[in-house]
Amino acid sequence: MRTDELIARLSDGAGAAPPPEEARRLLPALLLGLPAALLLVLALMEPLPVAAVATATPWIKELPALLLGLLAFAWLRRASRPASDSAPLRRAVLGAWGLLVLVGLGSLMGAPVVEWPDRLLGQSWWSCPLLLAGISLPILLLLLLRGRGLPVADARRAGAGMGLLAACLGAMAYALACPESSPAFVALWYSAGLLLSMTLGAWLGARLLRW
Amino acid sequence: MASATPSDFEAQLRPWWDRAQAGDEAAYRHALTLIAGRLRSFLRRRLAQQPDEVEDLVQEVLLSLHLHRGSYDATVPVSAWVQAIARHRLIDHWRRAGLRQHESFDELLEQAVLAEPVDEGAGAHEARRDLSQLLERLPMAQRRAIELTKLLGLNGAEAAEHLGSSEAAIKVQVHRGLKRLAALVGK
Repeated sequence: MRTDELIARLSDGAGAAPPPEEARRLLPALLLGLPAALLLVLALMEPLPVAAVATATPWIKELPALLLGLLAFAWLRRASRPASDSAPLRRAVLGAWGLLVLVGLGSLMGAPVVEWPDRLLGQSWWSCPLLLAGISLPILLLLLLRGRGLPVADARRAGAGMGLLAACLGAMAYALACPESSPAFVALWYSAGLLLSMTLGAWLGARLLRW
Repeated sequence: MASATPSDFEAQLRPWWDRAQAGDEAAYRHALTLIAGRLRSFLRRRLAQQPDEVEDLVQEVLLSLHLHRGSYDATVPVSAWVQAIARHRLIDHWRRAGLRQHESFDELLEQAVLAEPVDEGAGAHEARRDLSQLLERLPMAQRRAIELTKLLGLNGAEAAEHLGSSEAAIKVQVHRGLKRLAALVGK
């Protein structure tokens, strides 16, 4: 076919440009994935008693995870628009994450040094990142599936962003059963779980997010 | 049209594109025609050794533009958006071509090295042949990084995609390669 014929065919009946599709594609993945993550949490762990809501224990994870998740989603949307500058949002994500880690680790300052190992390692330091990444996996897979075809600039990076977003939601589910109450623990081991999910997301994204 | 500056082209294209995005099909047709013309010269330069493939790639890019119309963000210039998509399709094309026909990709590079630009004299021709010999003395990673960024004109991100590496790693390889080249010519 000649190019001018192609142009005629494309423009004939084209109508107005459709609205951006990132939200339409990705939100269902989150809406489906979060309940899946919650089910996994209930299947694998003992949920905290309802009274825990009155303590800080769940909130030191829920709030940071929500913040980071919102920023990650915003970055993902921007990164799905060719030629749009996603660097400021990327810096916001990394800056917020860094700040949260500093604040979490900083909580050690107010505690006697003899308590530090316990505050850093808790009861579940090795299982936490693995469980977190595992619980987030359904969300990540759904994001990758729904996100295929988005015009991302860098498939690997977009996959990492999806891994981060998935793990933030996963963390919000995980926090309903996680008994650890030390902010330093959260800073260290939840971050490890986020990084695990991001690494997997990057690897899968590089292969799946072609367009 | 092909010789218009980028900002002239943007000024020409943008009003048509805005109307097209709003639903004006005649404006869309005109905008795509303008874009196709610009794409043709952009791609011809980068596919100098495969001129038969230029028009196919122009059409592939137009299809991508049409498919992803919704991803255009009005705060960026249309031509930047078009170019980002065109680059992605070009890298895809090279990735496919590189897998199937390694020789033609190397021919492309050789031409880039040995190509005699109109205004340069024979001295430049000799220099470029020497350059290709010098490049062969570099470690593969440095050589590929320099070939892609300096000779083929890819930017860091594109070269990184093509080589399966990171932009930072590419920069390191280019830097090391240039240092080694400088050492080889005795500077």
